[in-house]
Amino acid sequence: MNLEKVIFGFFVVLALTLNFGFFLGEMDNPAHHNVYELFAVIVVNLVATALKFGDRSQIGAVLFATSLVADLELLAAATYWTFAVHITGTGLTPDVMSSIISLTGGALLANVISTIILVSETLFNRL
Amino acid sequence: MPATVDLSRVTFIVMREMRSPLVALIIVYSISILGMVFIPGIEIEGETQYLSIFHAFYFMTYTATTTGFGEIPIRFSDAQRFWAIICLYGSVITWFYAIGTIIRLFQNPFLSRAFSEWKFSRGVQRIQGPFVVLCGFGDTGSVLMRGLSDYGLPAVVIDNVEERIKALQLRDYKVVMPSFCGDASVPKHLIEAGLLRSNCMAVIAITNSEEANLKISALARLLNPNVSIISMSKVEVFEETLATLGGDVHIVDPFKTFAKVLAAAMHNPGFYSFNNWLVRDKNATLDRYIMPPKGTWVVCGYGRMGHEVNRVLSKYGIKTAVIDPHDSKEEEQIDRYIVGRTTSKTLAAAGIENAAGILAGTNDDGHNLGILLNARYFNRDLFTIVRQNRHENEVAFRATEVDMTMQPTLVAARKILFLLIAPLLKTFNRYLLEDIPGRQEKMEAVIHSLREKVGHQRPHLVTIDFTREKSKAVIELLDQGKKVLLSDLIKDPRGREHKLDLVVFVIKSSEQEIVLPPDSYEIQENDQLLFCGTGLAHRLFNATINSEYKLFYIQHGVYKPRSYLARWLVKKMDKVGV
Repeated sequence: MNLEKVIFGFFVVLALTLNFGFFLGEMDNPAHHNVYELFAVIVVNLVATALKFGDRSQIGAVLFATSLVADLELLAAATYWTFAVHITGTGLTPDVMSSIISLTGGALLANVISTIILVSETLFNRL
Repeated sequence: MPATVDLSRVTFIVMREMRSPLVALIIVYSISILGMVFIPGIEIEGETQYLSIFHAFYFMTYTATTTGFGEIPIRFSDAQRFWAIICLYGSVITWFYAIGTIIRLFQNPFLSRAFSEWKFSRGVQRIQGPFVVLCGFGDTGSVLMRGLSDYGLPAVVIDNVEERIKALQLRDYKVVMPSFCGDASVPKHLIEAGLLRSNCMAVIAITNSEEANLKISALARLLNPNVSIISMSKVEVFEETLATLGGDVHIVDPFKTFAKVLAAAMHNPGFYSFNNWLVRDKNATLDRYIMPPKGTWVVCGYGRMGHEVNRVLSKYGIKTAVIDPHDSKEEEQIDRYIVGRTTSKTLAAAGIENAAGILAGTNDDGHNLGILLNARYFNRDLFTIVRQNRHENEVAFRATEVDMTMQPTLVAARKILFLLIAPLLKTFNRYLLEDIPGRQEKMEAVIHSLREKVGHQRPHLVTIDFTREKSKAVIELLDQGKKVLLSDLIKDPRGREHKLDLVVFVIKSSEQEIVLPPDSYEIQENDQLLFCGTGLAHRLFNATINSEYKLFYIQHGVYKPRSYLARWLVKKMDKVGV
């Protein structure tokens, strides 16, 4: 058993499931999307990215790239949220909310790809 | 660069041929356009309308190509219509003339030749890795190409029969195989085939003509002193000339190769099956042992094969009776020489009833099969060797259940293939066949472990080069001053308790060749290794020597930390890995 792989797998799958949880619900309804959940997704995703720093293998590099994409989109969503609520003061109107959710939807896709790569790497190693 | 020369030739020919049609088109267009511009159109609000040059050109464009959109942008006057009729017929005829010229040009066999030559040398230049030049795509060539494709080694093919090249282009090879129809003994064609390129490994001359093979070999040596030359020759005079070319020259003579195998089988019963199994012969198994008997032999057909087999038999003190239509002068080693075609009469005269074995070695397959049936009628327990000249008769030969079938094309193709992909096999075979006490037991051991590890799967004979490009991880470790043992590499990277299903044959390390190396052997840079194993073992071995993580696991039993964080933690906790 490779402990490092267990930890990394844990964080990748946690990021995916949390992301899915946040994404779930009516797209423009702020009541369906919890800000703390978004916070948790971002933190877990950043950890998963950090765990891939320094991996010189080919698959490690691809995993690093996909989790970077997820980070980028989640951070964009969070920044937009902050701007809408605190800086411009528009509040969480339906169109602001749907932009945020579509960004996290993109991040969700990147996380799905990460998980697929992770699973297939494990399977191929057994071959 | 030869390719650019040819490209310019093609474009030059096209340009020259297109000169007059183009001039005609330009003249017709310009006259038509000028006419359309100057001829007055209809009057609108008292003002005569004229076509602009742009509109006139637009009109001509669709008229000359017979598209015919109509009168654009405004209705034409009758004068314009009259001119349009002239323009239409004139320009359409000119177009037909131009198109006809192009078609005639492309139908010209010389142009299409130049074009295919250009395409061929472009294809050759695109090959990045090592490749071989194959001159002659006959039976031998086609078997060889199949083998090369299986091993992923591209071949550049030149053959002078167009049908063969066309057949080749329809085959599905795993790697790109550029082919060209032409005379391979023309230096220009050899250069186009990439003879001067640094990644050209070898030139293989296996055309039907002995002279052509010799010429190709000599040219190849003159043009590129470093290239390996493999030539097929069945005539001794040519072989002597070939051997003096210098450099790396291999002469493949299928009959001599078979004679060697036969001689090996004489004192080493496992070798024939082992050899057949290794070359992936159908129905070959490691369990069959074949030992030619030592009684009297009847040799039918005293051609090249008859000579070679007779030489081997008499070396082992076996008496032979030869039946051949032609009288022969050198009869010292022959017990009885019967002149005549092989029939029941001559067979009886040769003493077939008391013979131990028979060779049907004429160059006619029908005759060979007939000899077999005839001989068996007299003597059921004969040991049979038969020469199969044509591949298409495979089914008939299989049905006769002979002990040894010798197919010259196949023997030659396999020999060449192994020279290319497993050059160390020669060393291994020489070692196994040495007439030293204990060698036969060693061979038994090899066959035994192969049977255990590979068994009924297809054997993969693999040559591994420990170079920076091909085994990155191993060389990196050696650079750090660490040791890599052979026992490490043959472990399974999925679980190091298990060993990979392979048997290491030879390691070549700076001119020293170690046959059946011990597990404690330390790998050096630029070593070459030959092993036989399953396809899976081959893939896993390659994975190990190219991945530092897998190599680390195999050496230490724990996983190498991949990320900075894990590396830092491992260092902090004073451990080797996770």
